[in-house]
Amino acid sequence: MEYLKMNNITMKFPGVVALDNVSFDLKLGEVHVLLGENGAGKSTLVKILSGINTPTSGEITINGKAVSNLTPKESADNKIAIIYQELSVVDNLSIAENMFLGKLPTKKKMGITVVDREFMYAESEKYLKEIGLKKNPSTLVQDISISEKQQVEIAKALCSNAKVIIMDEPTSSLSIDETKNLFKIIGHLKKNNIGIIYISHKLPEIKEIGDRVTILKDGKYVKTLNISDLEVKDLVPLMIGREIKDKFVGTKREIVPDEQPTFVVKNLTRKDGTCKNINFEVYKGEILGFAGLIGAGRSECMEGIFGAKTISSGEVYYNGKKLEIHNPYDAMKQGIAMVTENRRETGFFPNFPIWKEIAVSTSLKKSTLGGFTGMVQTKSEKNIAEKFTKKLNTKCTGINQMTYNLSGGNQQKVIISKWLAVNSNIFIFDEPTKGIDVGAKSEIYAIMRSMAEEGKTIIMVSSEMPELLSTCDRIIVFRDGEISGILNSDEATEEKIMLAAVHLN
Amino acid sequence: MEVVKIMTKEKFQSFWNKFGTLCILIVLFIAFSIGSPKFFPQPANLIQCLLQSTVYILLAFGEFFAILLGGIDLSVGAVACFSGIIVADLSLQGVPPFICLIIGLLGAVLFGFINGVLINALDLHPFVVTLGTNTIFRGICLVMTGGNPLFNLPKWVKGLSTYIVGIPKPVIYAAVIGVILVAFTTKTVAGRNLYALGGNKQSAWYSGINIKKYTVLAHILSGLFAGIGGIVMLARVGAAEPTAGDGYETYAIAACIIGGASLFGGKGRIWGVVLGGITIGTINNGLNIMNVSAFWQKIVMGSLIIASVALEKLISNKVKK
Repeated sequence: MEYLKMNNITMKFPGVVALDNVSFDLKLGEVHVLLGENGAGKSTLVKILSGINTPTSGEITINGKAVSNLTPKESADNKIAIIYQELSVVDNLSIAENMFLGKLPTKKKMGITVVDREFMYAESEKYLKEIGLKKNPSTLVQDISISEKQQVEIAKALCSNAKVIIMDEPTSSLSIDETKNLFKIIGHLKKNNIGIIYISHKLPEIKEIGDRVTILKDGKYVKTLNISDLEVKDLVPLMIGREIKDKFVGTKREIVPDEQPTFVVKNLTRKDGTCKNINFEVYKGEILGFAGLIGAGRSECMEGIFGAKTISSGEVYYNGKKLEIHNPYDAMKQGIAMVTENRRETGFFPNFPIWKEIAVSTSLKKSTLGGFTGMVQTKSEKNIAEKFTKKLNTKCTGINQMTYNLSGGNQQKVIISKWLAVNSNIFIFDEPTKGIDVGAKSEIYAIMRSMAEEGKTIIMVSSEMPELLSTCDRIIVFRDGEISGILNSDEATEEKIMLAAVHLN
Repeated sequence: MEVVKIMTKEKFQSFWNKFGTLCILIVLFIAFSIGSPKFFPQPANLIQCLLQSTVYILLAFGEFFAILLGGIDLSVGAVACFSGIIVADLSLQGVPPFICLIIGLLGAVLFGFINGVLINALDLHPFVVTLGTNTIFRGICLVMTGGNPLFNLPKWVKGLSTYIVGIPKPVIYAAVIGVILVAFTTKTVAGRNLYALGGNKQSAWYSGINIKKYTVLAHILSGLFAGIGGIVMLARVGAAEPTAGDGYETYAIAACIIGGASLFGGKGRIWGVVLGGITIGTINNGLNIMNVSAFWQKIVMGSLIIASVALEKLISNKVKK
């Protein structure tokens, strides 16, 4: 008998259908894996179960009772606990306090209500023992490791009598031994009749601990399978493989034999280890794509090239000349541009109109002493802004409009204009169409292709495989901070990319 | 209200953005003129009022750059005092005026530089850093003077704050510096970069602006103008007190905020800061003229600071709705 049932769930956000008629169920004592590539709808499903999002339509039944609109409180009342990838323990509280967060046990002492520490410690001790975490409950959470924090979250779930525990990529930051330990704990939870929804990209571990798997693709339900009946490799085609392959935008740029690459990256390694020993080359007029799962280290690698984050080793060559890049200023001066992933955080200035936005880097490039001298050339800056706003067809009331008030796609065009105005040659686009509506997306692809045709060299990091396949000449695949494959766009398929992006053994 | 109805909301907002501080100043002017019609609106008093405002304006100029980056500088009062003490001390030793002034200002710039470097190196909020350095700088002032004021200064020191054709020299200094700063903030690349940095530090970094160097620049400017303010204070008083300028950082911050700067950074104009400084000076002067006791003045001053900023917020919120 299923403890949890979700029937025909549809979740619409403005402009996007995140879940389209998806069904899912969970029995007590099983591990049910949710599988799908970036943006398949796994997180949305979890958010519905946690009560953060209310589905547009569909039914949820928990323990035989229909619950239409789950709130976070009702979700907890129905014994659902969620362990997010970004752990949500409070660092400056003790293990026991974290486990009893929001429901501290109290007692009366001389007529005053105080926290019942003895009870709290004894109770937490019990659950810590159950999952095998040998720590004193009074230890501050900031003093324990990540995997121990995760175990505290599991103990917290047990402490609240959870029947359903959702784990969102729980092994993404665990070592091999820690992963083994987690699986042992999961085995124990199963024996105690707790149902687990397990989200992971690591196919081998799915085989190891999963009972059933449900595959989602583009917000649609694909299949639910018994894991014992299948081979790990069989899952990949189910996660991808759209019927219609998007048409290639523009004409592909072929590399001529003996051609020298214009931009070369050698042995790039970041101090924090998010990318290791990266080597690649790009040709003039080419669009080179970077595929991989979220967190594979692609953006981190680009930030390293651009000088925005420190690298421990690595060299960058442009037309055979070695570039010295210590910060984005150096990169900008030498013709490298970066259109970042998060426009709001790292892209534009909320206090600037379009023309100033576009002028910032240009005026810096002309300036000397590291960007401290020089006068603002309002007239020519406005002319340049007019020119690029027209060229990229940016929809705005005029160049005096605040960038802040534009739509995502038009903000992106303003940021691209900024780098075109600087006359950059190497363009790094990090998720260029994130948060942009479909119409504007194809405009951005067209802009990128025409830039390449004008002789710019383009790097495109994207987590959306269809856009990589329809836009890029070649595709490099990242896995765990390293390059795991290079594909030519003629031969590239979603399946080949996915095989390189996930762990098969 | 008729005016409000005729103008569209956006227009009123942009009007208030530009002239809000001026409106507050005019209201205060009318209020004090009614309160003391015989003395307050007289030309001699108005000039006095401007003179009283100059120190606030000068300190606020420096403070403005710290606030523009979304930070704050709580040490401007102590830095002002320090530069005054250096100039006074050197002048007593017979050092030529020009060299006294240069060294005094260099000392202030050094303190600003220290603030900037500490903020960068420790990666702490400027509030914490300057809260600490404020006390340290004040301590240095007390150690240097042994806690005693320096007086009997050479005549040229007082000469820095005499009148030229009926206008006090400090007012002229502030006016000249104000004009230079308006040009700096609106016409130079460095000035615009400060606004960019205040608007969004990470975007600025990814656009090629060096966050750390600009943070140091902002605090050097903060030190420099605090130093100039300190020298004007010294010239007006004629003696260097080791406690001079104590608490002036609050007036400097208030002048910036009243003048339309945002504590979140990226917003504000030099023109507004000047009006903010004059507002503080006017409140000070007006209350004196109306014979409000010095103790009560503090209470009134504080309330007026809150009221004027609250009014501004109230109006801009109303407009947004």
